[in-house]
Amino acid sequence: MNWQMISALIVKDLNLYFKNQFFALVTVLGIVAYAAIYFIMPTTVDETLAIGIFAPGLTNPLVEELAAEGLILNQFDSEAALKTAVLEKEYPVGVAVAPDFMQKLAADEKPAVNIYVANDVPPEFQEMYALLFRELGFMMAGRPLAIQATEEVLGVDRAGSQIPPRNRMLPLFAMFILMVETLGLASLISMEIEGGTLEALLITPLKVEGLFIAKGLFGTALAFVQVAALMAIVGGFSREPLIIVTALLLGSLLVTGLGFMVASVAKDMMSVMGWGILAIVTLALPPLNVLLPGLVTNWIKIIPSYYLVDTVHQVVNFGAGWGDVGSNLLALLAFALAFLALGVVALRRKFR
Amino acid sequence: MTDAIVAEGLTYSYGQLLAVDSISFNVAEGEILGFLGPNGAGKSTTVKMLTGQLQPKAGQATLLGLDVVKKPKKVQEHIGVCFELTNLYEQMSAAENLKLFARLFGVKNFDADALLKRVGLDGRGGDRVETYSKGMKQRLMVARSLVNTPRILFLDEPTEGLDPTSSAAIRRVILEERERGATIFLTTHDMVEADKLSDRVAFIDKGKIVALDTPHALKQRYGKRMIKAEIAKNGGLEYREIVLDRDETAADVAALFSDEKVITLHSEEATLEDIFMQITGRGLV
Repeated sequence: MNWQMISALIVKDLNLYFKNQFFALVTVLGIVAYAAIYFIMPTTVDETLAIGIFAPGLTNPLVEELAAEGLILNQFDSEAALKTAVLEKEYPVGVAVAPDFMQKLAADEKPAVNIYVANDVPPEFQEMYALLFRELGFMMAGRPLAIQATEEVLGVDRAGSQIPPRNRMLPLFAMFILMVETLGLASLISMEIEGGTLEALLITPLKVEGLFIAKGLFGTALAFVQVAALMAIVGGFSREPLIIVTALLLGSLLVTGLGFMVASVAKDMMSVMGWGILAIVTLALPPLNVLLPGLVTNWIKIIPSYYLVDTVHQVVNFGAGWGDVGSNLLALLAFALAFLALGVVALRRKFR
Repeated sequence: MTDAIVAEGLTYSYGQLLAVDSISFNVAEGEILGFLGPNGAGKSTTVKMLTGQLQPKAGQATLLGLDVVKKPKKVQEHIGVCFELTNLYEQMSAAENLKLFARLFGVKNFDADALLKRVGLDGRGGDRVETYSKGMKQRLMVARSLVNTPRILFLDEPTEGLDPTSSAAIRRVILEERERGATIFLTTHDMVEADKLSDRVAFIDKGKIVALDTPHALKQRYGKRMIKAEIAKNGGLEYREIVLDRDETAADVAALFSDEKVITLHSEEATLEDIFMQITGRGLV
């Protein structure tokens, strides 16, 4: 075997690869993007646990002692404020201790303790919190506490209605169908640009605006039909079909805009794939979060697909209504319009 | 005769490179103008400005009385463009390609088969374009440029690299279109084709029009008419050239026949290529 020839070929291929500006750019951008995602994600395991508490008699030394142990007790001025915080998912659990807690304990009576749990806390986590509170009571009183605990799930109580894995995967499937449509639309436009057919189209009475409308409608309709077909097959329209239709339409608009953007930077099928995969990896993170809850935190909301995925998840799996997902749909609309506008501007530059 | 195309001081540059340098010309309705020049001379850029694909940096182009910059879509309703490079939908059939463009032009009762027959593609309309030869694709390109029965036809190197059958078919269509009354702007660097087809020719070099007239007038102005004789001499063949239109021409011809044994005699005139070289100092390639 002539290693000199082989190494010469390898050097040649490397040279050709990096002479191709697309491959060079995507290689570098890919590394940058994946590194950025890596660094955005938490760097350490969070070993602290924060809960909200309303306990008028709670002493600071105890709070500090618990904080040192990793249990952060964030005190609220009123039970109502505590409930609001749990309802808004600022805390998974809130504990409200009656003002006469210590007196009743001293009198060997059972003091009342209200435990508020956010509705998306899984049952196993609820058990963990119950255990934690018993331990906490032991620390406060120096002995097992006889308390009258009342547990209340704030929001829609989803106890006993765990989501089967396939339902958790549904938003992921929907997102992937839309993303594949992005690639399809982008490659179609890219082929038209490279093949010169777009030039031929634009020398007819057809205006650029008309072309964008046609492509936008085609892309949106194709994406919507595909994802709607999936939802119809799996029974995704059984709850609040109008919300699902709205969300999928907005999602289709979003990926159409993305398709325009990919087409504006891509030169051929390969480069469409390259740019498209970058986008897919990013947009696939929110559905992965539904699939594996707790994987990521609030930063995921900067990714536009979150609002589609969360809406589909909330409606299909929990029967959420307009009031629950209205803000999601508004955010999705804003992102979709922004993507479409950016896509049109970027692609239009290429038509000149 | 009114002018179908009027260009006044058309100028275009790509960055620092001046591609078209303030050119002006008119093309009358029903006329074929051959626009000749080597690669990179500015032919395609001129076509792009005339067809509304590029906005001139300076100057003005008017087609059928309409300003191309101000009303590009109105102009494009009445023109047909056959591009230099094939840009057909290869996965679609020839008929589908034509019907698509007929719809874009709003042509009613469009007969794709009739148009395909005109360019010699009858019976192949249902075949995918990707199965066509280069010549067939080019004929389809010409057919596509005719779907709207254009008043002005722009043909960019329509016969370049084609087989004689395809070239002849395209030339026949060009002449038929002129018969119909269409104005034809023929871009080529094939001087023979330009000579055969064009009413007038314009030479463009380095972005400037360096000559514009009928082929005949250009030959009169720049060419040397001569006769070329093949004579038998010393057991072999030799050649004599006698330039016409001189005072001593008649005497030279008489001497040729009296002193030499003339085998063949041909009249020679300058080709457009000769004239182009004479004017620009370089060839067309």
